[in-house]
Amino acid sequence: MNTCINKIREIASKLLENGEVEKVIGFANGTIPMATSPVVINSKQDVDKLVFNSTCGLNLANYVRNQKGKVAVIAKGCDSRNIVTHIVENQVKRDQIHIIGVPCTGMINKKKIEALFGDDIIEFTEDGDTLNVKSSTREETLNKKEYLRDNCTLCMHRNPVVYDDLAGDLVQEQTLENPYPDVDRIEAMDADAKWQHFQELTQNCIRCYACRNACPLCYCPTCFVDESGPQWVGKGQNKTDVDTFHFLRAFHCAGRCTDCGACVEACPMDINVRDFTRKLNKDSFEMFGWEAGLDITKRPPLDVYSPGDPNAFIK
Amino acid sequence: MMGNLLEHMGIEKDRVHFSWISSAEATKFVDVVKEISDKVRAIGPNTKFVKDYI
Amino acid sequence: MKFITIDKKDWAKGIEKSRETYRLFGPVKEKNGFLIKSLDNDMLPDMEYHDSVLSAKSVLFPQSEKMMTTSLDESRDGHHIMNRADADYSPRAVIGLRPFDAKAIQLVKLNFDTKEYRDPYWCDAYEATTFVGLGINKPGFYDFSTSAGSGPFNEEGLDVLLADMDDTYLAKVLTDKGQAYMDACGFKTQADAKESQALIDVLKKEAQKNIVSRIHTDKLKEKTTLELHEAPFWDDIAFSCINCGTCTYVCPTCWCFDIQDETKQKTTSRFKNWDTCMSPLFTLHTTGHNPRDTKTQRVRQRFMHKLKYFVDKYDQGTMCVGCGRCVKSCPVNIDIREVCNLMNAYEKQE
Ligand code: SF4
Ligand code: SF4
Ligand code: SF4
Ligand code: SF4
Repeated sequence: MNTCINKIREIASKLLENGEVEKVIGFANGTIPMATSPVVINSKQDVDKLVFNSTCGLNLANYVRNQKGKVAVIAKGCDSRNIVTHIVENQVKRDQIHIIGVPCTGMINKKKIEALFGDDIIEFTEDGDTLNVKSSTREETLNKKEYLRDNCTLCMHRNPVVYDDLAGDLVQEQTLENPYPDVDRIEAMDADAKWQHFQELTQNCIRCYACRNACPLCYCPTCFVDESGPQWVGKGQNKTDVDTFHFLRAFHCAGRCTDCGACVEACPMDINVRDFTRKLNKDSFEMFGWEAGLDITKRPPLDVYSPGDPNAFIK
Repeated sequence: MMGNLLEHMGIEKDRVHFSWISSAEATKFVDVVKEISDKVRAIGPNTKFVKDYI
Repeated sequence: MKFITIDKKDWAKGIEKSRETYRLFGPVKEKNGFLIKSLDNDMLPDMEYHDSVLSAKSVLFPQSEKMMTTSLDESRDGHHIMNRADADYSPRAVIGLRPFDAKAIQLVKLNFDTKEYRDPYWCDAYEATTFVGLGINKPGFYDFSTSAGSGPFNEEGLDVLLADMDDTYLAKVLTDKGQAYMDACGFKTQADAKESQALIDVLKKEAQKNIVSRIHTDKLKEKTTLELHEAPFWDDIAFSCINCGTCTYVCPTCWCFDIQDETKQKTTSRFKNWDTCMSPLFTLHTTGHNPRDTKTQRVRQRFMHKLKYFVDKYDQGTMCVGCGRCVKSCPVNIDIREVCNLMNAYEKQE
C-alpha cells in the first residue's frame, strides 16, 4: 500500500491538470498519530497532501454527495461498494464520479493497538505488513494482520468493484469458511443473553450519532431521531430511546450495508455497532443471496419485490 | 428481516408476528389473534424495549 | 496553606470512611476507556488513570437530567403545574479530578451562575460538591493545558489538590470544603507547608516540561469578529467534519442543552439533555428555517464561540482548557490547536 500513494498522486494530478475532474477527494495526514483526515484537493499543486495507509478507515463514499461538477474519489473495496449503492439510489451519477480504486489489504484497529499501551501513542509508522508503534515509554513492532479491524478480517471484497483507474495491483481476495462467525456467536445465545449482550454493548453510548454520520448510507435530509414534528423517539439517555435509535438505524441499512466499518471507526466510545448490521447482512445473504454494492444494475432486496422472496415469516 | 433482527437483539420470537389478513377474512383474523395471544401469554409480560422512567 | 500526607495504605480506608457523609464520583475503567462515574458501593476511584474519554462535567451536568414533573390527572391538586423534580443534593465529592476539568467547571459556572440568572440544577449540584483534584505527573500526549489557562497542577476550582508521591499522596487543602472532606476521611497527618510546596513545585515543573504542544491565543481578542467570521479557511476546516458532536460531548466546557418534555400516561417530566451546536436540529426554528443550516456554519460556530465570543464576553481566556479530548476523539481529526492558531494568526487580505 506504500507504493500506491505515488500512483494515486500521479492519477490525481493528471485528472486535475486535464480538467477531467474539478476536485479529488482523498485522505490527508492527520495532526496526531494513527489518524488521517478526509480532504478535498482542487489543484495539482496540492496533490502531495494526499496519503493512503492503513489508518484510512473512514468511508469516502460519504463525501461524494452534493458535489458540484465531476469529482474523483479514492476508493477501497468497501468504499467502491458504497459508491455503487449511491449510484443505485440516485445519490450520484456514474458519470459525475471518477473512481480511483485502491486494492486494500485491510485497515488497522486503532483501539486495539491503543489498548496495548497504558499511555498515549506518540508515533506510528508502517512498512508493508509491519507496524511500528511508539508510546512515551515503549516501542512495539506489530504484525498488521493481527491488528486489522474485525470487518477487515471478514472482508471478501478487498478489490474495488468499479473503478476508472487503479492505483495498485489487484490483491488476492480472502476466502472464509464462515463469513459470519460473530453473528453465529450471538445467535447461539438464548433470548435473555442476547438482550444482555446488546444492553452492555450500547451501555456507554452518548448518542453523538458519529456512527450514523460516518455511514454513507445515512444520507436522509432529516434522520428519524432528529425529526421534531412528530418526534419519533426520545432524545435523552433513556436506554429504550438509545436502543430504539440503534435498532432502527441498523434496520435502515438492511441489505445496503457493506460492512465498511466506518461506523465503528468513528464511535468515540468504541462500540461495535456492527453487531446490529452484521445480522442483517447475514440474513440478506442467506435469504436473498445478496451482498450490497456489487452490482450497479440491481436495487437492494428490501427495495424490490420478487416472486421468489422468502415468505415464511408471514401468516 | 425486521423480526429476525428483533429476535437477534433478544426479543422473543413468539412476541412479534406478521400477518396479512383481508377485511373479508374474519375467521382467519380470529385464528391469528388467538394464536398470537396464546403465544405471547406463554412467554409472559415483556420487559424489554419498554420505556420506564417517569 | 495546610498540607496533609496520606499514606497510600490508608487511602482506601479513608475514602470508604468518607462515604458516611459523601456520595463519591471518580474515574472508573470501562471496556471503552475511563469515565468519571458515580462510585457505587465498594468501588474506589482508579487513581492510575491517564485520561477519561468524557470529562467530569457530568457530575454537575448529567447528559439527561430530570428538571420538573407534573401530573396530567385533572382530579389531582396542582395538575399541569410543573414542580421541581426530587434530586439528591447531599454532599458529594469528585475524587481524582483533573486540574483542567476543575478549571473548566469554573468556566461553565460563568454561564450557569450569573447575577441575572442562576441554573438551580447546576448550582445546587455545584454547591454540594467537593472537588478533590489529582495533579498530573505525566501529562498525556494530547494535553496542551498550560497554554490554555490551566496546567497539570493548576489549583483553580479545586478544594483539595493531591500530588502523587509514589507511596503517599500529598494533599494541599485549598478551601474549607476541602478541609471538611479530609476530616471526613480521617486524613490528618500534617506536613510542613514550605517543604510540601517545594515538592509539588518540582513535580509541577517536571510535568509542565512534558507538555509540548501549545496554542497561541494572544491575538484572538484584538481580531475583528466579522473578519474572523468571513475568513476563507472555514470551508476547508469543515470539509471532513461529519457533524457528530463528539467534540462537544467530550468537552468539559461545552454547556449547551436542550429541554424536552416526555409524557407517560398521566405524568409529564421535563428533561434537560446535552445538545450540540454541531447538530442541524440545534438551531432549527419551528418555522422550518434554520439559521445555521450548513456544516461550515456549525463548525465555525463551535470555534468562534470557544475562541472568540467567549474571550470577548468574559475576558477570562478561551473556552478551552486544553484537555485534548476533542483532538483525540474526533473521528476525522479536526484539531482545535490548529484552528486556534489559524484564527490567532489570521490577517485579512485586502
Ligand atoms: S458513535 Fe458510538 S456513542 Fe455515538 S451514537 Fe453511535 S454508538 Fe453511540
Ligand atoms: S452501517 Fe457501518 S459498516 Fe455498514 S455501510 Fe454504514 S458505516 Fe459501513
Ligand atoms: S468530533 Fe470532529 S467530526 Fe465530529 S462534529 Fe466535532 S469536529 Fe466534526
Ligand atoms: S475544546 Fe477540546 S481541548 Fe478544549 S477543553 Fe474542549 S475538549 Fe478539551
